Amino acid sequence: MMRVLLLVGLFVAAPAGAQFRLPDLNVNRLVDTVKGVAKATHEIDENEEIAIGNDVAARLLGAAPLMSDIRVQRYVNNIGRWLASQSERPDLPWKFGVLDAPQLNAFAVPGGTIFITRGLLEKMQSEAELAGVLSHEIVHVVRKHHLKAIQKGALTHLSADAAGAALTSVNSEARSKLISFGTEMYSRGLDKGDEFEADRLGVVIAARGGYDTYGLPAVLQTLQRMDAKDSAVALMFKTHPAPGERLDLLAKRMQPLLDSYSSQPQLRERFVLQTKTSR
Amino acid sequence: MRLLLLALLFPLLGHAEPATVIRATELKSAPASDAATVSQLAENAAVDALERRGGWTRVKAGSAEGWVKMLALRYGAGGTTKRGDTGIAQVFNVARTGSSGTQVTTGVRGLDEEKLANAQPNPAELEKLNKFAVERSAAAGFAAKGKLSAHQVDYPKP
Repeated sequence: MMRVLLLVGLFVAAPAGAQFRLPDLNVNRLVDTVKGVAKATHEIDENEEIAIGNDVAARLLGAAPLMSDIRVQRYVNNIGRWLASQSERPDLPWKFGVLDAPQLNAFAVPGGTIFITRGLLEKMQSEAELAGVLSHEIVHVVRKHHLKAIQKGALTHLSADAAGAALTSVNSEARSKLISFGTEMYSRGLDKGDEFEADRLGVVIAARGGYDTYGLPAVLQTLQRMDAKDSAVALMFKTHPAPGERLDLLAKRMQPLLDSYSSQPQLRERFVLQTKTSR
Repeated sequence: MRLLLLALLFPLLGHAEPATVIRATELKSAPASDAATVSQLAENAAVDALERRGGWTRVKAGSAEGWVKMLALRYGAGGTTKRGDTGIAQVFNVARTGSSGTQVTTGVRGLDEEKLANAQPNPAELEKLNKFAVERSAAAGFAAKGKLSAHQVDYPKP
């Protein structure tokens, strides 16, 4: 039944996709294509998500390596893992890394890998601010924002059978294309709506973890006061809504919740001890 | 040790930064809604921001001093005029770079669009990343040391 439905769908869609011109088709290829579509449109399971995430993470680490300071890396992992434990996906293999780059940015990778740059860490003043940013990124993973964008991209940019192969088999040319696409996504950015959702729900995760909820707004204010033309924030500003707009929306939607948990710890001293004095 | 910490924290606390209020706002005598109102600030009033406590920021407004809601503030003199905050952002950056001291010593160009487009997998760094990961229980212990406790908090309705 499923197969018939997919076939019908393919023929309806055929005029839009030039590669499906009917005279070129033979039955075997059609069956392969249908299998590919079935693979490319199915819900990607957790193991596949983690495998895709590891491939994307390896590429990001090819663009910028980790900071060599083990203490800072452990510190960020402790905070991130604690916050992730308060999410709806507490048992993913969560991993957090500080990238040795002066730019200000943070990245969420499918399967539970989160990166933050040294440049952004250096602008922060408390553990609550770090927790606010990590919580925002954790929401991207929990809601599968990037995974869905990668899957959508695979279907748009690869032929259907290649997309199916790319999402499920680790060693193929299509897979390599898919991972390149997934990595470049961090240059294009997500839908604005995904970013706003990560702000709203991120504040909730920080509250659950016992932090002053104003950590994320404080970081957004730090970003807001920077020059958008500064090369340190160029990529981040290109891929995210303006900080002022994000602050406006948080004020409009989240003010009561923000205020309810604003007296929770900021942990300024611990943050300074664990990050600044090691330099 | 304590002295060192104070020295590190001091610049953050003592720093005054130009900002404006984005809507008419009450200047409060303490960081609380039920605190006495010192004065009424008009929309776009210029202030100097001093420190944040929870959702409140301590500001100087002319001769008056008090607390305003943090989310009512935008940084940069003149609020939305981009020309004004460019200079401030530069001053701010120089100050921060000076205090951290690491930015100038690394030869890394860092992470930009070009780097992302041409990145090749780095499995050795991925392995390092895996080694830095901590167990859920260890992270809970670290949270407890910071006197953090978990709460049940619901997401807002969509």
